[in-house]
Amino acid sequence: MGASGIRTLSRSLCDILNAVGTSERHGTNIVTLVNFDYRGFDTLGEEYILFAAVIGAVLLMRTHRGEKTSARPGKVSEQPVPLRTDAVALGSRPALGLTLIFGMYVVLHAQLTPGGGFQGGAIIGSATLLLYLGFGYRTWRQVMPTAVLDPVEAFGAGAFVVAGLAAMAAGAPFLTNLLPLGKTGSVISAGEIPLINIAVAIAVSTGFAVLFVEYLEETREPDAGDEE
Amino acid sequence: MDFLAPLTVALPLVVAAILIGGAHLWPSQWPDAVAALTAATVAIMAVFLAGAAAKAGPLVYWFGGWTPRHGIAIGIAFVVDPAGAGCAAFVAVIFCASFVFSWGYFDQVHARYHALMLIFLAAMAGFALTGDLFNFFVFFELMSTVAFALTGYRLEASALEGALNFTVTNAIGSFLMLAGIGLLYGRTGALNFAQLSRALSGHSADGLVILAFALLIGALFIKGAIVPFHFWIADAHSVAPSPVCVIFSGIIVPIAIFGAARLYWSVFAGSGIAQAQLRPLLVWLGTATAVTGGLVALMQRDVKRLLAFSTVSHMGVLLVGVGLLSAGGLAGGMLYLLGHGLVKGALFMVGGILLASCAGIDEIELRGAGKAFPLTGIAYALGGLLLAGLPVGLEHQGRELIDAAAEAHGYAFLAPILSATGGLTGAGILRGAGRIFLALGPEPGEEQQSPSEEEREQQDRPVWLMLLPIGAMLACELMLQAFPTEAAVRVAAASFTATGSVVATVLDGATWSPPPAPPGVTETQMMGPIIGLSVALGIAALELGRHHFPRNLVRVADLALGWLFSALDRLHNGIVGDYVAWLMLGLLVIGGVLAIG
Repeated sequence: MGASGIRTLSRSLCDILNAVGTSERHGTNIVTLVNFDYRGFDTLGEEYILFAAVIGAVLLMRTHRGEKTSARPGKVSEQPVPLRTDAVALGSRPALGLTLIFGMYVVLHAQLTPGGGFQGGAIIGSATLLLYLGFGYRTWRQVMPTAVLDPVEAFGAGAFVVAGLAAMAAGAPFLTNLLPLGKTGSVISAGEIPLINIAVAIAVSTGFAVLFVEYLEETREPDAGDEE
Repeated sequence: MDFLAPLTVALPLVVAAILIGGAHLWPSQWPDAVAALTAATVAIMAVFLAGAAAKAGPLVYWFGGWTPRHGIAIGIAFVVDPAGAGCAAFVAVIFCASFVFSWGYFDQVHARYHALMLIFLAAMAGFALTGDLFNFFVFFELMSTVAFALTGYRLEASALEGALNFTVTNAIGSFLMLAGIGLLYGRTGALNFAQLSRALSGHSADGLVILAFALLIGALFIKGAIVPFHFWIADAHSVAPSPVCVIFSGIIVPIAIFGAARLYWSVFAGSGIAQAQLRPLLVWLGTATAVTGGLVALMQRDVKRLLAFSTVSHMGVLLVGVGLLSAGGLAGGMLYLLGHGLVKGALFMVGGILLASCAGIDEIELRGAGKAFPLTGIAYALGGLLLAGLPVGLEHQGRELIDAAAEAHGYAFLAPILSATGGLTGAGILRGAGRIFLALGPEPGEEQQSPSEEEREQQDRPVWLMLLPIGAMLACELMLQAFPTEAAVRVAAASFTATGSVVATVLDGATWSPPPAPPGVTETQMMGPIIGLSVALGIAALELGRHHFPRNLVRVADLALGWLFSALDRLHNGIVGDYVAWLMLGLLVIGGVLAIG
């Protein structure tokens, strides 16, 4: 309560949403309910900030970028590429599986426990680096061709907008939930929130993957025929 | 009609995703066409929205259907008033022109440029339409993120340095804004503009509210290039591709001042922030900006840098219009924003033609190089004359309204000063026009000392296609005067400033009663145009004719003015740490003046 008595609201926005969120939206993580339902439009903007940052980074690193998957990273002339030790490979391979599973868990429990599409997407994105550490550059690039990453990332970003437009097609305001709310506490509950979180996770994890490819490619000398 | 409000943002976003999704599939020129069509569609939708809002009052659109409960806003609202929708329409028109202008420029980057620009467009449309403080911040941040990447497009060391200066200063702006939002939310528990306004009104402003206001306004002034927050602008403009400069100077910088006006009238107008302190503060900041920008513009040789500083000067005039805190002044500012955006956009496109066809942007090196492009030269000179104060067009109408409002608030003495600053920026442009297109001015003056850029842009693009948007924009500036644009803008300004009615409409669903529009200007004052044009033509003639004057006279004049120009030059040194120090000083001044009152 301010000295001048400015707080004229009986309760702040936060108090109201804390009080009604779970019973109205059938989710237990109020933060996610606010981010993806009550104020989902803000989050759509935030998702596009990330999307734009990735596009921008790709744009700024476009020289020396090749589409080939055969080369090795860090092949700067006269600089040796450090060899990967067996210990790193041995540690990374099981960690890869565990990290992926944990990332998916965080995404799928967005409406239930702390976390969600952004956090889980970042974890899954990091897991792709373990693929590089555990299996080497060539495998890593083969598993993640840029020609596929771009469309997948765009799909993840665009799906959020499409969810908003779908509500309009059904005659409701943009980003209104159309799905049944389900049973509170279940993985499939809180309406569209799980689906939107999966879309965001796809955009975030592929966005990270695109950035990793760009950063590692940046140190590589261009081969003949690469894009300039 | 309400359903168009979210579409102005959603359409460009979804098209951007599609462009990236198929980035490697599109035949060349498809992204150009798709992006231009999308921008045109957004413009049409926004015009319809503006028309509907002018008829029925602000359209309130609650996302997700989360309407207020017991007068408390739960979700995010767009509050579409004629001014906001008109601004969104204007943004989309400039984007459309910029896409036509850049046809074929960005073929090699697989639609990434177009996707970023469409996200940029969506962010600005959202920024103009939103009625929620945090949503306002999200779009502000989205604009910045896109702008950082577009600035560094050329990848030269100087481009990355300019982009970095831009990024650092504007990221600080984002932090300031976020801090201001946090303070306001902590105090009021609300984010909706109308809710905030209701919570703040009728109470005296304590230190926290003043600090929040200073932080928010400071953040917008960084983007709005108000002295001393303006330093990033020339570094960014001199390196960014010309179609991006069109967007920067034409809209992103002015829209920040529009945002400051929006914050003031939507949130703070009824609060204890005293007009008695705020009005002189904004008016004097604006005047200082207009003068500084005009002087520094005059001493540039890089055309894009010159135009960037001229934008600084014109933003000062715009701030004076807004800072008078009256509907009349605001209406003048809005008209000025439209007119300036059209002219400045066209001028940057001329810069783009020079970069593409003459492979340079330096007026001294390009002397006579533009002789083969007479139409381009005419457009450039016309733009210079319009900025200097030619008494036709939207910008002139805006200036007249601002002058009238200044007189009503006891600032009549500012009118000739502001006209003269317009003359200064016009002088720099006319000097460049004479030198580049007529090969005048063999002997450069103090502008020789200023920095220059080795730069060129994608060649082999048809000049007529680049001239087309230039002609269209200049024609709009001149012809829109014939339509009742001025009257419509005055009506828009009236509903923009009717804080109480807007709050009741948003929170209580009250029926809208249109407020009376501020009066227009009945007699044309010729004093302003005469001062502006004589300053512009006089200085341009003096500078181009240096070699005709006795050598000693020229040397004395250079000595007399030299200290001023070199001092100003030393301030704009490209060192980002200094820029940050200046903006902190500016923030202290704003906060200090308001706190003392």
